[in-house]
Amino acid sequence: MQEALAAYLFLLPFVLSLLIFFGYAFVRAIYFSFTDYNMFDDPNWVGLANYIAIFRETRFLVALRNSIGFSLIVTACQTAFALVLAVVLNNKIKGIAFFRTAYYMPSVASSVVVTLIFLWAFQRTGLINYVIEWFLQYWPFLAAFLALAAVLQLLQVLWDRSRGRPVRWFEPGAVLTSLMLSAAGVTLLWATGTLSPLEVEPVRIVWLNTRRSIPEGGGWLSLSMPLVSIMMLNTWTTAPTFMLLYLAGLQDIPRELYEAAAVDGANRWQQFRFVTVPQLKHITFLVVALGLIGSLQMFDQVAIIGSAAPLEAVITLAYYVYSNAFPGGALPRVGIASAAAVILSILTLIAVLIQRRVVEGNG
Amino acid sequence: MQSGRLGRFLRPSTLKTGFVALLIAVLIALPAAAQTTVRVSGWGGTDIAIVEELIERFVRPAVEPQGIRVVYEPIADAYETYIVNALSAGTAPDVFYVDIFWAEGLMRAGQLEPLNDYLAKSSVLRAEHIIPELLDAFSLNGQIYGIPKDFNTLALFFNKDLFDLAGVPYPDADDDWNTLADKLRRVAALGPDFYGLALQPEYARFGAFALATGWEPFDENGHTNVLDPRFVEAFKWYTGLLADRVGVHPQDVGQGWGGGALSTDQVAAAVEGAWILGFLRDSAPNLAYGAVPLPKHPGTGQRGNLIFTVSWSINARSQVKEEAFKVLEALTSPEAQQWVLERGLALPSRAALVDNPYFAQPDPEAQANLVVFQGASDGYVHPFKFLNYGGDWMAPINDALGAVLLGELDADTALREAQQRFDALTGR
Repeated sequence: MQEALAAYLFLLPFVLSLLIFFGYAFVRAIYFSFTDYNMFDDPNWVGLANYIAIFRETRFLVALRNSIGFSLIVTACQTAFALVLAVVLNNKIKGIAFFRTAYYMPSVASSVVVTLIFLWAFQRTGLINYVIEWFLQYWPFLAAFLALAAVLQLLQVLWDRSRGRPVRWFEPGAVLTSLMLSAAGVTLLWATGTLSPLEVEPVRIVWLNTRRSIPEGGGWLSLSMPLVSIMMLNTWTTAPTFMLLYLAGLQDIPRELYEAAAVDGANRWQQFRFVTVPQLKHITFLVVALGLIGSLQMFDQVAIIGSAAPLEAVITLAYYVYSNAFPGGALPRVGIASAAAVILSILTLIAVLIQRRVVEGNG
Repeated sequence: MQSGRLGRFLRPSTLKTGFVALLIAVLIALPAAAQTTVRVSGWGGTDIAIVEELIERFVRPAVEPQGIRVVYEPIADAYETYIVNALSAGTAPDVFYVDIFWAEGLMRAGQLEPLNDYLAKSSVLRAEHIIPELLDAFSLNGQIYGIPKDFNTLALFFNKDLFDLAGVPYPDADDDWNTLADKLRRVAALGPDFYGLALQPEYARFGAFALATGWEPFDENGHTNVLDPRFVEAFKWYTGLLADRVGVHPQDVGQGWGGGALSTDQVAAAVEGAWILGFLRDSAPNLAYGAVPLPKHPGTGQRGNLIFTVSWSINARSQVKEEAFKVLEALTSPEAQQWVLERGLALPSRAALVDNPYFAQPDPEAQANLVVFQGASDGYVHPFKFLNYGGDWMAPINDALGAVLLGELDADTALREAQQRFDALTGR
């Protein structure tokens, strides 16, 4: 009894702050969602009017669609990406610490900074278009290089095999020789003028400030180009954090399981599919839950991209809440904002419950 | 055990230290209590140094002898959000900036103190001292809710070197849309890397051209009609400049706004306000630029313009309104405004300052400031506010401009879409 009391005492500070800043705020938000409060006039009870109004508003429906699409795609991509990264980085090779740090960088850097860099990279005269343009100019070099390397590799392997040596198709020593010889060959072709960069139109793809969608003309099912850009950014910045969770999980898988699998004749893919993935199930639950919650509430990246993309194209539920709570130049529409916030929280709860069913059902 | 720990805090030595600290606190607070404190707020950034010096030079000497203590509390970020929250919570400062863009909501909500009675009694600050267009912007139903501290309008800033290089006469005050477009076309003919006007896809720039046709943002029923032939004409002229590089989207020269585009030496002209001056001073110190009024509409023979302005207003729930008004008087006194003007920081709102010798200087900044100053009362001028719709009102126009300037929609389709959004927003 005494011990339980002590435990509750230790919990008290946290419970108090939770009650004040979350419990009280949540209850108040629910109350406001049934009123027409604007922060200055006394709130009037309007019943379900706010909920009816937002479901009639195109912008809310777009935000809802964007949020759900964003959440499903980003969660799937970042989970897969994080798992692959973790498995790759779990290898014991030289300099692995460097790669682990490098891949974790996007998560350490502030979201605001990363988004700004991203904004510049995706400008019409930005890095991404520059790289595409560069590729279009120089792809003959790349093609020649790869073709030459493939031919050289083939020759080397066939030569070795004809002499009875059991070499693999991608023998590292031979690959290195092929690549070096191929590079020399391409340089020679360039110097003699056989190969030259192509003349191309400057690439001016509009990534952000555009109304195009993918797939084009897909109606409610297609996602806007700027939102797809944000998905790429979001996956890239959040996957490394989940990679860390997976890395920790990988360390816990007993070596014996892999040894037993190898004895049974499982190849690398089968080991991954039937040992690694099931053993990481509890981590996957955590990653997917955190991913769903985080991506449903995504706000900052939309806010910073701001006027660089049409609002309808990138608005998410969290941003919809904000834009009604603080509409630039107009009085706050707290009732509408609260109603949308309540819907967002219900949606998050449902998403996590469904996902829990799915993960547990699979086990 | 428990009481032992508590006892340590009640030991005589701790009590004595506490008592001494309390005594010191009371002694420090005593002189302050004899004064009235007026809290003043504005936004952060470069503004802080200006307001601090303004208060030090002009406000404190004027109000401190009357027992008024001024405390300046600049807000670093999200100023509008801060003010709305603070007003709602009852913790707002006594005197604070109100931007014309979001002023109307606060005026209608009764959060700003009407100043008519104070102005009538005042000996140094009267309604007739202030440029009427600016005062109108902060008035609602005959009540004045703020004293404009300064303002900006739009002017045509151009790169003299590019015009010289092309052998084209500079833009001037007599240009209309056609003659200006012709001049820009000849400058753009310099080569594929040269462009005429920077075309920001925003009502905050384009609006001046729409107003020049005589179009009104709201009809008598408060509805907005962007299918009005006058608006359509301005829209097609502005977006049509893109042909032959007479105009360019700032993004295409790697810039986010007209000022940045002008600083690249590739773009002949930009429509901006006096805020561009500080930027050019820092980022393009060698750029030879000039400023002229915006071109006239060939049909109406008038220019259009937008007024961007910020007022000092008083919190309607302030406990020290009389004192706050004294601070407001000092903040907008002729001396304070002259000091701000002569430093090239901002344009004063007092009409009498148009005769200030500063404006007669040959220096391009002073000349540009004069053009911007006169823009407030030349032709069809509207304040940069949209009843209480705020940014929601501009979004349909901005999106339409963006879509057409990026070649994703044609003008007619874009305007039809915009009109549908206005019908939903302002009613049919």
